[in-house]
Amino acid sequence: MGVEPGRVHFSWISSAESTKFVEVVKQVTEAVRQLGPNENFVKKELKVA
Amino acid sequence: MAQWEPKIVAFLCNWCSYGAADLAGVSRMEYPPNIRVIRIPCTGRMSPKFALAALREGADGVWVSG
Amino acid sequence: MGAYTDKIREIAGRLLKDCQVEMVIGFRKGSMPMMNEPCFVTRADAVDQLVWDGSCGINLANYLTGRTEARIGVVAKGCDSRNIVTHIIENKIKREQLTIIGVPCTGMIDKRRLKNLAPGEVLAVEEDGERVVVRGDGFETVHQRREVLQANCAVCHHRNPVIHDELVGDPVSEQTEVDRYADVRAIEGLSAKEKWDYFEALLAPCLRCYACRNACPLCYCPTCFVDEAMPQWVGKSQNPVDVRTFHFLRAYHCAGRCTDCGSCERACPVGINMRLFTKKLEKDAYEMWGWEAGLSLEQRPPLDTYRPEDPEPFIK
Repeated sequence: MGVEPGRVHFSWISSAESTKFVEVVKQVTEAVRQLGPNENFVKKELKVA
Repeated sequence: MAQWEPKIVAFLCNWCSYGAADLAGVSRMEYPPNIRVIRIPCTGRMSPKFALAALREGADGVWVSG
Repeated sequence: MGAYTDKIREIAGRLLKDCQVEMVIGFRKGSMPMMNEPCFVTRADAVDQLVWDGSCGINLANYLTGRTEARIGVVAKGCDSRNIVTHIIENKIKREQLTIIGVPCTGMIDKRRLKNLAPGEVLAVEEDGERVVVRGDGFETVHQRREVLQANCAVCHHRNPVIHDELVGDPVSEQTEVDRYADVRAIEGLSAKEKWDYFEALLAPCLRCYACRNACPLCYCPTCFVDEAMPQWVGKSQNPVDVRTFHFLRAYHCAGRCTDCGSCERACPVGINMRLFTKKLEKDAYEMWGWEAGLSLEQRPPLDTYRPEDPEPFIK
């Protein structure tokens, strides 16, 4: 539909897996950083510079 | 604008990832400060509406974790 | 086609006379050519208004949602019957309430395409087997039926009703050679940016009239998410973002349920092919879970069951 695959992530982490949590936060942040700001689903006139 | 930082909305299950986030905090682990956590009672509470609402409100990414 | 009409009238008359049903839901001629409208017949002497031809594209399952009559007769072509199955699975009607008059279908005529092909205003359309004769003021043209079918009918492979109590004719042969998802694959090949632009252009004429939602048998939520105000998920405007959100989320609500009956596209006053959204999800449901909506009363849909072998490569 035009939303980049890397914008939405799913994961499965147990409450004991804090190391995995930190890993996934890093992965997700990196993936979104690569894609750059989300322009598509934001109304143009509402956007603040 | 200074260096652009992504804003990521994280929907975390109360019993799983939210607990993991809590444990990570208690254990003083470091992780990127880009996520904004929303606690949901269970991943079953997740709805496609939430993901879309986050993107519409200007989030750069959405992360759902059970 | 005429034979179907006679048979539908005969069956409806019999069911009503014997008090086997309280009413029969079928089609009657509309006030314009190619615009047959649903009608509810409650008396045996009124069955002569029922008709069947290539303009019965409205999905009658839409009129069954939450009905409380003890016995209802309903005319159903292939896709209608699949939507009736979906309705039964989703507890919107009980099988015991229904007497399904199945119609083996050879496809519905694309009224928009026929109008575009005609040199003037279309005043009458007659069908004679494979021939479709279009008459207007000072012209008469003949088309081959398969050339003027609705896009979804041209690739349909469930033309015969999957459940029925009566059948108005012999089952027709199914189209097994059709490539159902050529258009979806073409879009899948585009990049995210190209897809975004493609759908931006596709949805540009949308008026947000919600005709697609109202014609869709799946869209029976008491309050649609677009009408919710606390919180308000979608703006009421024609801003492209709001339009996109509406179509996007409506399509997702139909995932694993859509039978590609084409009602949405048919109902659209500006001719948007929003089936491209639902069809992609239909294709995904088929490829991921081998699921086609509305074929069985026993099997639960994939999105409300868990199987250990469900694909999950998207989960980290």
